[in-house]
Amino acid sequence: MNASAPLLQIVDLQKLFPITPSIGDTLSRRPMRAIHAVDGVSLTVMPGETLGLIGESGSGKTTLGWMLARLHEPTGGSIWFDQQDVTHLQGTALRTWRRNVQIVFQDPVGSLDPRLRVWQIVGEPIRAQEGLGRPDVRERVRALLPTVGLPPDCLDQYPHEFSGGGRQRLSLARALSVSPRMIVLDEPTSALDVAVQAQILNRLVELQRSRGIAYVLITHNVAAVRFAADRVAVMYLGQIVEHGAVRSVLEHPVHPYTKALLAAVPVPDASRRRTRYRIGGDIPSLVDPKPGCRFAPRCPFVIDRCRTEDPPLLPMAGTDRLVACHRAEEVKDIAPESLLATAGTPPPAAGLFPPVA
Amino acid sequence: MTDPVLEVENLTITYTVGAGTFHAVSDVSLRIYPGQVIGIVGETGCGKSTLAQAIPRLLPEPPATIGSGKIVFRGTDLVKVPKHQLPMVRGTGIGMIFQEPLNSLNPAFRVFDQIAESIRIRHYRDIGWARTFQGGTTPFDYSKPPPIATGSAGPLKAIVPDGALEQAARNRLQSRSDYRQEVLEYLRLVRINDPETILNLYPHELSGGMRQRIMIAMALSEKPSLLIADEPTSALDVTIQAQVLTLMKELIDEVHASILFISHDLGVIAETADEIGVMYAGRIVEYGPVAQVFQSPRHPYTKALLKAAPARYKSEGPLSSIAGSVPNLSRPPPGCRFHPRCPLVQEICRGQPPPLAPIEPTAIPDQPGLHKSACYFQKEVPGLP
Repeated sequence: MNASAPLLQIVDLQKLFPITPSIGDTLSRRPMRAIHAVDGVSLTVMPGETLGLIGESGSGKTTLGWMLARLHEPTGGSIWFDQQDVTHLQGTALRTWRRNVQIVFQDPVGSLDPRLRVWQIVGEPIRAQEGLGRPDVRERVRALLPTVGLPPDCLDQYPHEFSGGGRQRLSLARALSVSPRMIVLDEPTSALDVAVQAQILNRLVELQRSRGIAYVLITHNVAAVRFAADRVAVMYLGQIVEHGAVRSVLEHPVHPYTKALLAAVPVPDASRRRTRYRIGGDIPSLVDPKPGCRFAPRCPFVIDRCRTEDPPLLPMAGTDRLVACHRAEEVKDIAPESLLATAGTPPPAAGLFPPVA
Repeated sequence: MTDPVLEVENLTITYTVGAGTFHAVSDVSLRIYPGQVIGIVGETGCGKSTLAQAIPRLLPEPPATIGSGKIVFRGTDLVKVPKHQLPMVRGTGIGMIFQEPLNSLNPAFRVFDQIAESIRIRHYRDIGWARTFQGGTTPFDYSKPPPIATGSAGPLKAIVPDGALEQAARNRLQSRSDYRQEVLEYLRLVRINDPETILNLYPHELSGGMRQRIMIAMALSEKPSLLIADEPTSALDVTIQAQVLTLMKELIDEVHASILFISHDLGVIAETADEIGVMYAGRIVEYGPVAQVFQSPRHPYTKALLKAAPARYKSEGPLSSIAGSVPNLSRPPPGCRFHPRCPLVQEICRGQPPPLAPIEPTAIPDQPGLHKSACYFQKEVPGLP
């Protein structure tokens, strides 16, 4: 195998969720509508590296992660794993392939069967892949638990006996059990407190160094991506708006959405209090989006062209950065902090609360 | 100095369940003055939400028991208020913003009805149709003169002036359109564009940020003098969270309410609060002005918590975390509850719990004693790695 060959490559991947038409829609023969959850995403993951996917809820990052693990069927595009097209694997071939890519789910409570014991949960992929019997599975799980920081004698406990961090470790152990080459981490730390989050992230990085596993880290937590990722892709409404090395993207964001996202992250530093945040508006609907940049309704740098023409994801001159913005060259030097106005007179109150005399 | 809006003194709350007694909040004291924003920060299970819910007595009792202490709200000790009088305290006096707006809004009612309900109740109270809470000396509604106390004794009483019932009946007949105007004003106050449309929507039709704004409008429409915000932005995305926080900060100046802001997110607290209390295992371990606590923490837990925030790259070495885990509150460790995880632990820490004492030497000359830490070795904390 070529060392520089990507482990995973996706090309123009698309996932549409059709909306069940109402009787009115059917009678008046309106065309079928669909939610464009992931719309034309191309990415590569190299062996042993971490690709961070950041974006807000509804940006399609979880859907994309599920497609990478072949849990959602893509509606378009292709997935290549180790130079092999796995987009349409079926049956036994798919089952065998699954040992390459495992997933850690977001919700550490909902993704562990409350009626199974630890060895059954963690050993399930081993049984499915290798058909081992109970004593062998228990032995394998016993050996595996210390690698995620759990005591090996908890084999017969139930998930409810663990804290949030402990459950997330169980999830991680289950993913590691068949020695996958890539793990999709879907918000692995978002349900955890900051101290526990630090423990899990440290553990993930250690495992990656010792075993050379590639991660796709899906999260809305910029801090987690900064620590764990090598490259980062920023998603907004089903599309990638910016992609590059983690340090350069987080320190010099180009796309206005990346800037807005970074400016919005609260910093635990009381000397940097901001007073006003200028990116308004909510995330628009994903049902049959209109042409044009999807961030245009909220973008402070919007021009007419943004509303009519899709910005392609193009490399910036002289860098390895990919940015989908018509005005990338013009806005690239604007600092994220400038999206925060430092002072301003608040809009007049409606007269409901006159000041205390 | 003005009187505090809320004074919590040595509050102790336990939960008695099958598995034992959990000491959720132990010996917590707090003071909130008018117009102040106090932040409470801590990890899951440190008792911060229990504290938030205990103040308006929203905790289910049992299993919760307020063992000892006082919650003095505008001159009235809420711990002693009988249960049937509590609805008077909630709403008019203390407003609440909850974490998950979808679970706190009624899915079967339109936005209009939800906000109009609280406005209507306030209206009934204004005209004497519903009983109202009369604690303290200052009025609840800063836009109105203080109500004239009638002769009867006790801090809680009904005021029904002459002719109020007839007036209220008339008001009720013409009410719906009146409320509509007022609801619209509150929606505009929380910066909702196109409030006319939003009025007629159900909660499930709104986005998360919009729902949280409706919650804020509902809480404000009762004109509370104390607003308790229990993780108001934790369920929201960062850009939406920033909008809601910005809105709350602007509203602080406009509505003159005091706010008790509870969050696990140090960044959110740093941005909103004037003073913060750091909770660990049911106790406040450090308290002080937000800039002081963040820049020179004087409790090993605060220091460790601040350092655990991932702010570095993978190549720069592992993140620091706190060894061990949060203690089980049914059997809290004796003495300082942080001692099993503390780098500075010594024999004294295992004996008596350290008092929340002012730090020495005081860092803020004009307010000595404002920055407090519950650690025997607070002087050595700045030297920790």
